[in-house]
Amino acid sequence: MVRRSFTAVIEKNTTWTADFETEPYEAGWASEARWFIRVLALEGGEPSVAVVPQISPDGLFWCDEGREPVVISQPGLYSFALRDFGHWLRLRVMVRGKKPSVKVLIYLALKE
Amino acid sequence: MRRRIFSLGIPAVSALFAQPSQAGPTEAEPADRSLRRAILQADFELSKFQPLSRILFYDDFDNGLNGWAELQANHNGNLDDLRPAMRDMRPPQLSNCGFFDIGGHGSLNGTYALKLATRPRPFHTAAAIKRLTYAQPSLVQFEMYFSYKSEQTFGPARAWDGNVSPSEMDFGDFTISNDVCAGQGGPRYMCALRYWNTDLNGKLVRKWTYKTSLHTTTKMSRSGLELQSIDYHVRNVTDWADVPGGSQALCYNELATKINWHYLRWVFDTRERRNTELQVNELVMDLRSVPVLVYDQPYYSINHLLNFVLDVRTHTGVRNFLFVDSVLVSMEP
Repeated sequence: MVRRSFTAVIEKNTTWTADFETEPYEAGWASEARWFIRVLALEGGEPSVAVVPQISPDGLFWCDEGREPVVISQPGLYSFALRDFGHWLRLRVMVRGKKPSVKVLIYLALKE
Repeated sequence: MRRRIFSLGIPAVSALFAQPSQAGPTEAEPADRSLRRAILQADFELSKFQPLSRILFYDDFDNGLNGWAELQANHNGNLDDLRPAMRDMRPPQLSNCGFFDIGGHGSLNGTYALKLATRPRPFHTAAAIKRLTYAQPSLVQFEMYFSYKSEQTFGPARAWDGNVSPSEMDFGDFTISNDVCAGQGGPRYMCALRYWNTDLNGKLVRKWTYKTSLHTTTKMSRSGLELQSIDYHVRNVTDWADVPGGSQALCYNELATKINWHYLRWVFDTRERRNTELQVNELVMDLRSVPVLVYDQPYYSINHLLNFVLDVRTHTGVRNFLFVDSVLVSMEP
């Protein structure tokens, strides 16, 4: 059988003006995960976002996955992959700048 | 994830034959029906269902999401234009029903269940849809094994007697519904049956209801007919009426982390454009007198639409979940 895969749209044209975490998503069936962060707009004084993947055993309590944050200061599509993550995934996003605003589409691409 | 093996092709063969009955083989029962019934009863996956003569689909979520996708409103390429009531209905998940206290719970058969999860925001709804069209008007029967939960919280202790879980009060409602177009451009109608665990005031009510107004379509919304954004099924949030005999206390089972599977069977009739029957565990509700509202305007490009929708809605700031182990939809022409 071909390998199963699924793409979840975790955030959909959502605008954030402060730090946020994405909703928990279960991915125990998948061995590969890749986050795609499509920044549609990034506004304010010297705005940027720093994205940190987080993992959890239960969807309630979270820790950083351990890698360096992905820092984004311009609109565009950004991505990174994860393996050996356990069953729950989310992103912790730090929004920086003067009166910053970031509008995003966030995808989680999973593969068996 | 389990790869399904069809031993001797039995599940596929069983779909060709007629509905099983409780009676044994009789002179009145054709041989093919008797054989079909025997095959269904011997099939450890399908024998827990009561399929009509033609199985349209059988979804065991150990095999993936099987075409259940996030419900989304219409748009023209700009996601900013999504109706507020339907702009964030969350992607469905494959869940091993895991919890902080016991770890993986697993599903009824196997490991994974379909999970719909709301945001932790009052009246947020998560919804998944499966989209088909139909070849001929018929009885359509939707069966599933499901469970419902609110998320475990860790706030200040609430009164607890060791039996009644305060978390049960955190669960709002869940709904099964359809979207049907009976011909070319119409008539279009939607049946929706909702189980209210708590009402809009947070009172435990535990009952089945049907909607009494039309879902506001994107076409209607763009005509200025949208009144609210916390209940996508109806025009006003109170447009629900009790199903006769529909009071039913389901099995929440004391904790936010215990999964008890319930059987649900819903029959509707696309020949007569009405609901027929709803069975949830031991309770069978006659729905033939439940009115089904029809849109008075035509809808282009939805000829013979046959959609199935599941959703769950929280009434509080606590995530609500709907778990579905498996779904079987069958029809009787």
